Amino acid sequence: MNGDAIIKLRDIAKSYWRETLEIPVLQGIDFDIPQGGYYALMGPSGSGKTTLLNLIAGIDRPTRGSLEVCGYELNDFDDDELAAWRNAHVGFIFQNYNLIPVLTAFENVELPLLLTPMSRRARRARVEEVLSLVNLEDRMLNYPRQLSGGQEQRVAIARAIVGNPDLLVADEPTGALDHQNAEEILNLMERLNTDLGKTILVVTHDPKAAHHARFQIHLDKGVFDKTVEVNR
Amino acid sequence: MFLVTLLQSLLTTLDAVSNNPTSSNRLVVRHKSGLAQVLPMSYLTYLKAQPEVESATYLQWFGGTYKDPSNFFANFASDETTLFQVFKEEFGASGVTEDQIQDFVRDGTGCIVGKALADKFGWKVGDVVPLQGTIFPISPRLTIRVIFRGTKPSQENVLHFHYKVLAEGVPRMKGQVGTFFLRVHNADQIPRLSARIDNHYANSASETLSETENAFNLSFVKMLGNISAMIQGITVAVLVAILIVTAGTMSVAIRERTTEIAVLRAMGFRTGLVLSLLLGEGMLLVGGGGIIGVGLAGLAAGGIRKGVGASVPFLEDFSLLPSTMLLCLGITFVVGLLSTFIPAYQATRRPITEGLRSIG
Repeated sequence: MNGDAIIKLRDIAKSYWRETLEIPVLQGIDFDIPQGGYYALMGPSGSGKTTLLNLIAGIDRPTRGSLEVCGYELNDFDDDELAAWRNAHVGFIFQNYNLIPVLTAFENVELPLLLTPMSRRARRARVEEVLSLVNLEDRMLNYPRQLSGGQEQRVAIARAIVGNPDLLVADEPTGALDHQNAEEILNLMERLNTDLGKTILVVTHDPKAAHHARFQIHLDKGVFDKTVEVNR
Repeated sequence: MFLVTLLQSLLTTLDAVSNNPTSSNRLVVRHKSGLAQVLPMSYLTYLKAQPEVESATYLQWFGGTYKDPSNFFANFASDETTLFQVFKEEFGASGVTEDQIQDFVRDGTGCIVGKALADKFGWKVGDVVPLQGTIFPISPRLTIRVIFRGTKPSQENVLHFHYKVLAEGVPRMKGQVGTFFLRVHNADQIPRLSARIDNHYANSASETLSETENAFNLSFVKMLGNISAMIQGITVAVLVAILIVTAGTMSVAIRERTTEIAVLRAMGFRTGLVLSLLLGEGMLLVGGGGIIGVGLAGLAAGGIRKGVGASVPFLEDFSLLPSTMLLCLGITFVVGLLSTFIPAYQATRRPITEGLRSIG
């Protein structure tokens, strides 16, 4: 790992509590991910992949350890500061797309920009730009119910990148898609990494999806196992 | 809110019955035993002689119907000479001229009717109105001499004719009358005057009960029971029901959007902002319903005046006051706030990761 790491994890641990019983999910996680990297988090069910992704994305807090992402120590933030940080630095891609059903594709993509000081005209231009990037410029007035699964996920990706975040996190982004749509989404994510230089961290069970990443981080029972470079 | 607005308007209408400003300087004297009993006409001499009294008149409820028993309205045998002096605000406001009054005074079978009543039956000055007595065994034929306007619709649904018609047609009513109305110089004098009159006739064969006209009117409303408490009770019950239903609906609506809320927060929407959005949405929905309810109540008010007002006289004045509408809209927004806040607060306090896990 190198000095311009965008993600630095030091001795990260996360436990959940069931009454007085501590259930450790992650223990002693240490690794760096460089700026512009494309990493897949892999491991069996219950290995702590999603929990680790949530910690890195700032939507959960570690029980112990240092978590520096995009140059900020996340433990130093209160909830509102963390929300502002996520808006500026992280784009989320979910397995089930999670678009707002009563908003059009355009409006869904515009949502993160509503928290920025951008003018309406600038927002419109930016939304059109990213919808064009995911080849959905002709569907911007469609509601999610009028789109296919693949198109919905492309809208979700457009929403994730519209604020030009440094880091994209994706939790099983192709889990709800058929093979062809999954391949399109993976190719799109790869382009975001290579063409736009986005750092991507993806949680996946699917070896084909993981194969699109440059590196695979393996977790086992909440412990870092190994990092593997993907041979192409 | 439709029902709440109607109930609150009913309350203000009833309140107006007992708080008529033009009635505040009038005293009603009636038999202590009840309205069915009569007082000797000779009492008028004593009553008029009291220094506080500016003018005095007397009325007897006749209870006649026109053509059909269903054509019920207020009609009184009244003293034609003093009626206009005691009720001068009501008749003065209607623009009745002295010549018209004299037409009525001169015609022993003349009568005066309110405009609403005249409009209802298509009467005009000079028309003959046959009244069928229901309490007294006479059916006078009365000629309309004056059509007057009242300050309120309920004042226009009334007919007055000469007391002499009743006294001559019903021998037992000769020298007897149901109520005296006294106009006093100053409303502050009423309690003292009232006590003096009732003391004067205490232990006589016909004891009196003197009260302000507002209190007298209120006694008719009270015949319906403690209607104010009943209306308030129903209003509270309706509001509690609305609150429970609305809170349940909002709770389900917000719970169904747990994931959406989590996604918004993940994207960087602060908890306070998401809470405000949910509260705003809830208030808008409930407020919209409230505005529709108040609007429909406004439309229904006309129907109540015409429909129910025909048989319940004080409802002829039924209307929605701006203050009542504002109160009901205020209640609506409070209900909206109360019913939305708890589920919205709970939803925004839930960890984002938990919200995202609730994906189907």
